[in-house]
Amino acid sequence: MEQIRPKNYLVESILVTMCCCQPLGIVGIVFASQVNSRYNAGDYNGALQASKDAKKWIYWGFGIGLVFMLLLFAFYAAMFFLGINQGLFNEF
Amino acid sequence: MNFKYVGFVILAIALVLIYIFINPSEVDFLPKCPFYFTTGLYCPGCGSQRATHQLLNFNFKGVIAQNILFVVCIFILIYHITITVLNTYFKKNYFNYLNHAKTGWIVLIFILVFWISRNIPCYPFELLAPK
Repeated sequence: MEQIRPKNYLVESILVTMCCCQPLGIVGIVFASQVNSRYNAGDYNGALQASKDAKKWIYWGFGIGLVFMLLLFAFYAAMFFLGINQGLFNEF
Repeated sequence: MNFKYVGFVILAIALVLIYIFINPSEVDFLPKCPFYFTTGLYCPGCGSQRATHQLLNFNFKGVIAQNILFVVCIFILIYHITITVLNTYFKKNYFNYLNHAKTGWIVLIFILVFWISRNIPCYPFELLAPK
C-alpha cells in the first residue's frame, strides 16, 4: 500500500534555526530528518508521528523567538519613553 | 484578493525597507539573538540580520563575513521554492532532494559543526563568528 510522504518541515526548521536564532530549531531538524528515514524504511506511522513532532517544535521555536523579540522591543520602547520623560533628549 | 495576503505583502515590504536602510550592528532596537543574549555564545543563526542587511545592499563579501551558513540557507530556500513551484504549477515531477532520507542528517551535522566551530576563539574559526 503506497502512502503519501508526510510533510517533512526540513526547510521550515532550517529557517527557524537560522532566523529566529533558536536551538529548538535543531530539534525540529532532527524530527524532520526522521520523517524521511522512517518513511523510506516503510514505517509510515512513525514518519507521521515525527512529522507532527517536527511541526510542534518548529511552532514552539518560532513562537518563543517571536515573543522574545517583542519583549525586547517593548523593553527598548519603555527605556526610550523613560528617557524622554527624564529629559534625556531635550538638548537635541 | 484576500486581506491576509495584502497584510503579508505590506509586512514583507516594510521588513525589506527596514533591513535595507538600517544596519543592525549600528542600532540597538532590532531584536537580539535570545541564545547570545542569555549565554554569550553564538548560535548558528547569529549574524543573520546583519547578513540580510548586507545582502539587500548587494555586499556579498559582508554576507559571507557575517554568517556563511546563511548563504547556504538562502540557496536551499531558493531550491525548495523552485522545485515546489515547478511541481505544483507546471505539473513537472522533479525529485526534491530535501526529501531524501540522508539530507536532514547531513544538514544537522553541518549546523552542529558550524555552531561549535564558530565559538572557538582562535584564528581559523574566528572567521566564522559574526562581526
